[in-house]
Amino acid sequence: MNAEFYGRGYTMNKIGVGLLFGLILGAFDGATAWFYPEARPMLTSIMIGSSIKGMIVGLFSGWFARKVQSTAWGIVVGSALALLFAFLVAAMDATKGKPHYLEIMLPGFVVGAIIGFLTQRIGTRDLANRRTL
Amino acid sequence: MDADTAIGGHGDHFPSTHLSLLEATTSGLSSEALDRVITIYWKPVYRFIRLKFHKNNEDAKDLTQGFFATALERDFFTRFDPEKASFRTYLRMAVERFAANQHAAANRQKRGGDTEFETVGEQAVPADSPEQVFEREWQRQLFCLALDDLRAHSEECGKQLQFRIFQAYDLAEGERPSYAELADQHGVPESSVTNYLAWARRMLRGFVTERIRGTTAGRRELRDEMRRV
Amino acid sequence: MNLSDSTLDHLRRVVALPDLSGTRYELECEIGRGGMGVVYAARDRVLDRRVALKVLDFTPAGEAQLIAALEHPAIVPVYEAGTLPDGREFYAMKLIRGARLDHYVAGQPTLAERLRLIWRVGEALAYAHSHGIIHRDLKPQNVMVGEFGEVYLMDWGVNAIAGTPAFRAPEVLLDQRSDIYALGALLRFLLPEPNPPALGAIADKAMSADPAARYPEVPAVLADMERFEQGLAIEAWPEPLWHRLRRFASRNALLLWLLAAYTFAKFLIFFLRKF
Repeated sequence: MNAEFYGRGYTMNKIGVGLLFGLILGAFDGATAWFYPEARPMLTSIMIGSSIKGMIVGLFSGWFARKVQSTAWGIVVGSALALLFAFLVAAMDATKGKPHYLEIMLPGFVVGAIIGFLTQRIGTRDLANRRTL
Repeated sequence: MDADTAIGGHGDHFPSTHLSLLEATTSGLSSEALDRVITIYWKPVYRFIRLKFHKNNEDAKDLTQGFFATALERDFFTRFDPEKASFRTYLRMAVERFAANQHAAANRQKRGGDTEFETVGEQAVPADSPEQVFEREWQRQLFCLALDDLRAHSEECGKQLQFRIFQAYDLAEGERPSYAELADQHGVPESSVTNYLAWARRMLRGFVTERIRGTTAGRRELRDEMRRV
Repeated sequence: MNLSDSTLDHLRRVVALPDLSGTRYELECEIGRGGMGVVYAARDRVLDRRVALKVLDFTPAGEAQLIAALEHPAIVPVYEAGTLPDGREFYAMKLIRGARLDHYVAGQPTLAERLRLIWRVGEALAYAHSHGIIHRDLKPQNVMVGEFGEVYLMDWGVNAIAGTPAFRAPEVLLDQRSDIYALGALLRFLLPEPNPPALGAIADKAMSADPAARYPEVPAVLADMERFEQGLAIEAWPEPLWHRLRRFASRNALLLWLLAAYTFAKFLIFFLRKF
């Protein structure tokens, strides 16, 4: 999968991968809040928050992927971290009004799994972002 | 050259047997070539004609003689193209053409009562095709001649004992004696039996090669024919 | 003198036997007939091991030296070359215990095993080509599979005059591309009947009638086969779209499942909230 993704010959390290996909997927997940009219006014802050959440999960997942090579464990770690952060966010959100634990934690959990998977499969384990010849 | 490996002349007949067929014809020795061909191919041609055209003994003999006398004109050899087929095949096809022409041209009457069927040497299994019989007879004739060469050679070199042992083993019909028995019978150690047989077979191979060389047109054909033998 | 049929046959056989007196070998039996001569099993008295002796009908120009210069696990090592007392050349080489490829396939090996066999043959061929040697007579009868699955490529450099037509390239002058043709034919020979179209396409490309349309070199064939094994698109086959999607899906199955789970979760929550 590595070669296909970075067709132009640029291979990212795993932490970079985690940060990148954490950002993209987090932003996307946050954007889906648009389907809930009550959340629409706060869409921007939701997206920002979700992106940051994703990047943090991605950072840790990428770090973990450098140490341990196992797709299964990567998924577990990613999901667990995402669940944790999602819980924190949901708890914060609950203080403001109606609790949205399920809406935040369930998708967040799966996003974490995806981030964990990607960091295991893509990217190099050393810290350098290198150009492949 | 060691006496064992030198292939001496087989009498006065073919001093040029080491020349290939083509070399012989181009150097103006075509009668030599013809003789060589006849010696090897007479019997095979005869058997072939008998089988393929269902001739009796007399008619087959006549046809064979006729073929060798008339059909083998001077350019028979020059027309031979080794790229297309072996000389053996070329000759066989020429025989077929000749016999077919004769058959069509003449109105032969079968000679009443004079149908002498050759019983000696009638060994071909009826199931064989005439072409297979032709090849088989060719092989047989080659080996017969080579054996004659070997016998003559061993007499010249004083190796009659070796030849006798070879004869007793390799030419035996039916059950072959063991090496030990041969050693006893001829008063030599068993290891000698092995050596003598090896010598005789090696010499025989050489003679067969020479005989074939005499009717082929070059190294490649020689090699192919050696494989067929 | 009249020779009976049995005597004639006996003489023909013994006259063909190599006379090994004066050599270190002891003849055992005939193993088979290759393109250039007969192969016998023999015992090397000095090293006390069995070897294969190939007795050549004729003397090829320096062929033994060429083959002996090749050192590769799939190329049979030549121990010695020499001349028999009767003038024929021979060489002694490793005796391979195993089965010829055309017999081996009767045991219905798996597709993975078949590909492995072709791979080994291809490696040997690529190695030889890099040393300027062309096989010229590659066919299942010239590939041996040893007791432990090792693959050997035999009978190098024969001019396949009377060779098996199915494996011989159409052009007259044989070169490296003809070997590639034969490799393709070998692949086709090994493929089981309901075969993956991608592999069939590789074989077809290698067997194109026009040498220029074939793979330019053996490593290219192997590269395509490797791509096939990894589930990537191969050079030889412009695959139909649905097949490409299927391949993509199978390679990225886990990811697709995760994405599906995400979508499902989203929809689930959405509709739960509604009702």
